Amino acid sequence: METNHTRQSKSQLAWTGRVTAYFIRHLQQAIGSLGDLWRTPFTSVMTVLVLGISLTLPATLHLFVKNTQTVTEQWNSASEITLFLKLSTSDKSAQNFVQRVQLYPEVDNVVYISAEQALSEFKLISGFGQALEYLDNNPLPATVLVTPMKRFSQVQAARELLVKLEKEREVDQGKLDLEWLTRLEAMSELIEDIVLGIALLLCLSVVLIIGNTIRLAILNQKDAIAVMKLVGATDSFIQRPFLYAGIWYGVLGGLIAGICVAILANYFSIALVQLTDLYQSQFVLAGLSFAEFLFLQLIAIALGLLGSFISVRQHIRAIEPTAD
Amino acid sequence: MIRFNNVSKTYPGGFLALKQVSFTIAPGEMAFLTGHSGAGKSTLLKLMSMMEKPSVGSIEINGTELSSIKYQQIPYVRRGIGMIFQNHNLLMDRTVFDNVALPLIIEGYSHKETRKRVEGALEKVHLSSKLKCFPYMLSGGEQQRVGIARAIVNKPPILLADEPTGNLDPKLSLDIIRLFEDFNDMGVSVLIATHDLGLIARMKYRTLTLKQGHMITDGIVDGLQTLGDVDGN
Ligand SMILES: Nc1ncnc2c1ncn2[C@@H]1O[C@H](COP(=O)(O)OP(=O)(O)OP(=O)(O)O)[C@@H](O)[C@H]1O
Ligand SMILES: [Mg+2]
Repeated sequence: METNHTRQSKSQLAWTGRVTAYFIRHLQQAIGSLGDLWRTPFTSVMTVLVLGISLTLPATLHLFVKNTQTVTEQWNSASEITLFLKLSTSDKSAQNFVQRVQLYPEVDNVVYISAEQALSEFKLISGFGQALEYLDNNPLPATVLVTPMKRFSQVQAARELLVKLEKEREVDQGKLDLEWLTRLEAMSELIEDIVLGIALLLCLSVVLIIGNTIRLAILNQKDAIAVMKLVGATDSFIQRPFLYAGIWYGVLGGLIAGICVAILANYFSIALVQLTDLYQSQFVLAGLSFAEFLFLQLIAIALGLLGSFISVRQHIRAIEPTAD
Repeated sequence: MIRFNNVSKTYPGGFLALKQVSFTIAPGEMAFLTGHSGAGKSTLLKLMSMMEKPSVGSIEINGTELSSIKYQQIPYVRRGIGMIFQNHNLLMDRTVFDNVALPLIIEGYSHKETRKRVEGALEKVHLSSKLKCFPYMLSGGEQQRVGIARAIVNKPPILLADEPTGNLDPKLSLDIIRLFEDFNDMGVSVLIATHDLGLIARMKYRTLTLKQGHMITDGIVDGLQTLGDVDGN
């Protein structure tokens, strides 16, 4: 019984020892292949930069799309409907109308600007004060400014509300000043598609570039690979350092991309602060979130690994040991 | 164990380098392979190490029929053969230790075990003091011995050598052959291809002779008289 027990624990020990040795070996190879990159600094730096810059562009465009979405959401909720009442509407029935609109479940706030108010405001702003004195009657209509409740402030809902309000007897014409908003939204959707397209193309070129760098590294090591095959190395053993190299390219390129995006976001937000100051709105440009940064890293590593994997598959098998 | 059964090799281009060669080398046997330049000695060794494929016939190494194995299995068969070639095939940017350790690292030996075995192998070839040297710091003979240490470090059952004494002085050649004898004493099958007929004559081992791809003699070479035959004089 006793011997059985010790034997079991011994084999367990051997098992854990093997697993530990396995991980240590992989770690050593990973670090070793980082050293290999260091031995060809120019190629390595170029490859990492290409990877970093290639990922910076789609990541930055993604930031643009993300921020546009927040902007449209913010400005959407501040949307207003302007109703011009019929000239024939008396002040009293206008007041009546305002009260009715106030009761709409979709409506948050209503402001009434009478025809007289409108005219005097117009006189002030336009500077036509004198000339307007000669008019027989006020050409301006009374105006009602309607702010929808938050949940009816989306483009579609606000548009439906406008249609409903326009059916009111007192209303001559309504206006929902959202055209630019829909345009911005359409544009950001278009940009999103473009981002996706560009990202795919750039990813493809990154894979090709890394594949080529790894190919050169393999050809550089041709003799050593032949010797390793001669003494019984499997392809998977030989390819491991090259795959690690691909992963390192990914890690470093991803970091470069992360840094570039942060710098660009910072630069844009300084420019935006000046712009938004003019419009007196507080808008903060959102950078990459931590999750997005991780995703960027993951993509970079996946691309590095894929590029080196394709290259390794093609070129290592082709190398044969020779005796002379 | 090595078994050739009716093996022919035609190189691309149509050159017939080996013609219906059959022989067996038993476990623990030591033999020489000789013949003119171009007779097919290297070709025969390349077939065994799977650098070339036979055009006809079958080859069996350590109980494995080579024509039946997949590409992925080739490395495992090669691990059972220690190979020594004239050009040493050393990695020039790695130390003697790392070169000799290569087969062990490939097989996943622990650090401790690797160290122990590499030191043991280098001791056998009298190069313990050159552990940290790079191959370019060594003489031709020393490089050759590093190659031998690498070939025996994982204790393969078969040792193949192609001109292991080429370019070496007679004294060193003999030392190296003695080394092979030591391994043979430990039960390793050894096959040595060489031009060096004087060496063979002194050894009295089984000798396989190739002539234009044919196996013309197989047996103990008895003195210089038979060597004359080989030379065709
Ligand atoms: N890859 C190849 N393609 C075509 N012919 C080849 C090839 N390798 C060898 N040969 C031919 O096969 C014949 C045998 O060559 P091999 O290298 O086996 O001779 P060898 O007995 O080892 O000669 P040496 O003593 O000079 O080393 C030679 O005539 C050579 O030209
Ligand atoms: Mg030869």
